[in-house]
Amino acid sequence: MRLNGVHIEDTFAEAFPMLGTRLVITADTPAWVQAAVVSMTGFATSVIACGCEAAMERPLPPEETPDSRPGAAVLLFAMSKAELAKQVARRVGQCVMTCPGTACYAGLREGAPIPLGNALRYFGDGWQIAKRVGSRRYWRIPVMDGEFLCEAATAAVDGVGGGNVIILAADRRAGLAAAQAAVLAIRDVPGAILPFPGGVVRSGSKIGGKYKGMIASTNTAFCPTLRAAVPVSLVPEGVESILELVIDGVSEAAVAAAMRAGIAAVAELGAAGGVVSVTAGNYGGKLGRYQFHLHEVMA
Amino acid sequence: MSSLVLTTRDPSGPPIDMTGVLPERLFEGGREALAGLMLVRGRGRHRLDTLFKLEDGGPPGTLVLHPGSAVLDGVGTGMTAGELRVEGECGAYAGSAMRGGTLTVSGNCGAFAAAGMAGGNLRVAGDAGDFLGAPLAGGTRGMSGGSVVVAGNAGDRVGERMRRGLIAVHGRVGSLCGARMIAGTIVVGAGCGPDAGQAMRRGSILLPQAPASVPSGFVDGGMNDWLFLDLMRKELIDGGAWPSGFPTGGTRARRLIGDRSTGGIGEMLIVSEV
Repeated sequence: MRLNGVHIEDTFAEAFPMLGTRLVITADTPAWVQAAVVSMTGFATSVIACGCEAAMERPLPPEETPDSRPGAAVLLFAMSKAELAKQVARRVGQCVMTCPGTACYAGLREGAPIPLGNALRYFGDGWQIAKRVGSRRYWRIPVMDGEFLCEAATAAVDGVGGGNVIILAADRRAGLAAAQAAVLAIRDVPGAILPFPGGVVRSGSKIGGKYKGMIASTNTAFCPTLRAAVPVSLVPEGVESILELVIDGVSEAAVAAAMRAGIAAVAELGAAGGVVSVTAGNYGGKLGRYQFHLHEVMA
Repeated sequence: MSSLVLTTRDPSGPPIDMTGVLPERLFEGGREALAGLMLVRGRGRHRLDTLFKLEDGGPPGTLVLHPGSAVLDGVGTGMTAGELRVEGECGAYAGSAMRGGTLTVSGNCGAFAAAGMAGGNLRVAGDAGDFLGAPLAGGTRGMSGGSVVVAGNAGDRVGERMRRGLIAVHGRVGSLCGARMIAGTIVVGAGCGPDAGQAMRRGSILLPQAPASVPSGFVDGGMNDWLFLDLMRKELIDGGAWPSGFPTGGTRARRLIGDRSTGGIGEMLIVSEV
């Protein structure tokens, strides 16, 4: 398949089941929302070493938040419910509750419950107050600027992690421009996030390595500088830079939609923009439950 | 879905214990099941159809009592589903031990309304008597769920030993509102009598102004912003439970914390002192 001169390889992205949740964080101003979100989603690029993968899904205007203040929807994904619960409690406790003026709400209603305020309430040292409003239960935890309002629980849903798009470009400048265009397009897709810095990964990995104990190591097949040296290289002639977008979503459809949006944005730049081809990472279809075939995604 | 109107043949005289006259019985056994129900009136037991005229009618799925009367005690007691409407007033124990459904009273109701209530909705267009949402006789806990909205005033000991749920009284309430309250929310639109919140452990009482007499175990927590008020206001406005005199915006309120004399950390929030 060729789109605007860009070769779309006939391959697939292999993705895995994960558990995900959505949180809604509000604060007095968008800047304080951003402060809380940046802190909370920091060091959450890959479950390999971070415990979870997280990023802002989208900013929320006051009319879309429970308390009519500026806010943001954040998605977090982990490999198990227990790990997700641990990460939610740690990150909200250390990064949201600590941020002036914030409040934290569940962004999903249906699904297995994950403690939110229920895990943080003890910080109130006995002065915390549970308050039910309608069908929702909150904890009010006294803090130094007033009160931290936090919904008692959020919900975990079956999500998909590891959807990906790999952009092969003529040079680093072209690769960055293409990746950024794809990131902007994917951020408009509901239910999907790009957990890596700026939404982009430059150090794609393969499973294992020559050193004992390495879970993952650099993806030598996609390293342009090793093209002539490694036994198997997937870097075509004329490609100097390769960047990957890793996508997590609350559903298969969300990941597919995000991949479609990203590839379309890259293709729009076209060969004239220095994009040579688009491919995806997989493990031969043996490890992941989900396969996103690029030609089907773009059909 | 069937519906039925019960017309009271003699709205005066000895009280009638309406326990068991419930909309769910209409759904399960139909009109005949209700007609044959034995009710206690005074010292005698009577078939329901000797005390009430039964007519089809009313909104689907609804049981209507017409006209209401203060002799009708225990209306909606133990109700679990459906809708029961009282066109007029009713006696004591309206909606007591209620677990679901909606009970609507277009007039006043007597004492112990919503006593021991665990779920459902009670809407009273008039006034309510003493012990609204309080424990039933012998009970250690008052209302443990559901919501009560009284458009008029209510008597003494509203929400006594309340455990959970919402009581909203648009008018005034008497003394000892929320006394020994365990948790839950009481909203009072036009002020309360003395000793509100006495010995309360947790829970919230929202008031338009500080009571004239506050138990000595309450301390003044000062003014602050309470974000949950915004959520609560939206919820209560939707349910017609936010008193008209309360602010329609903002989250500031003065908080009195107590009753510290019994180790409580309940609160009276004075919402109009902005």
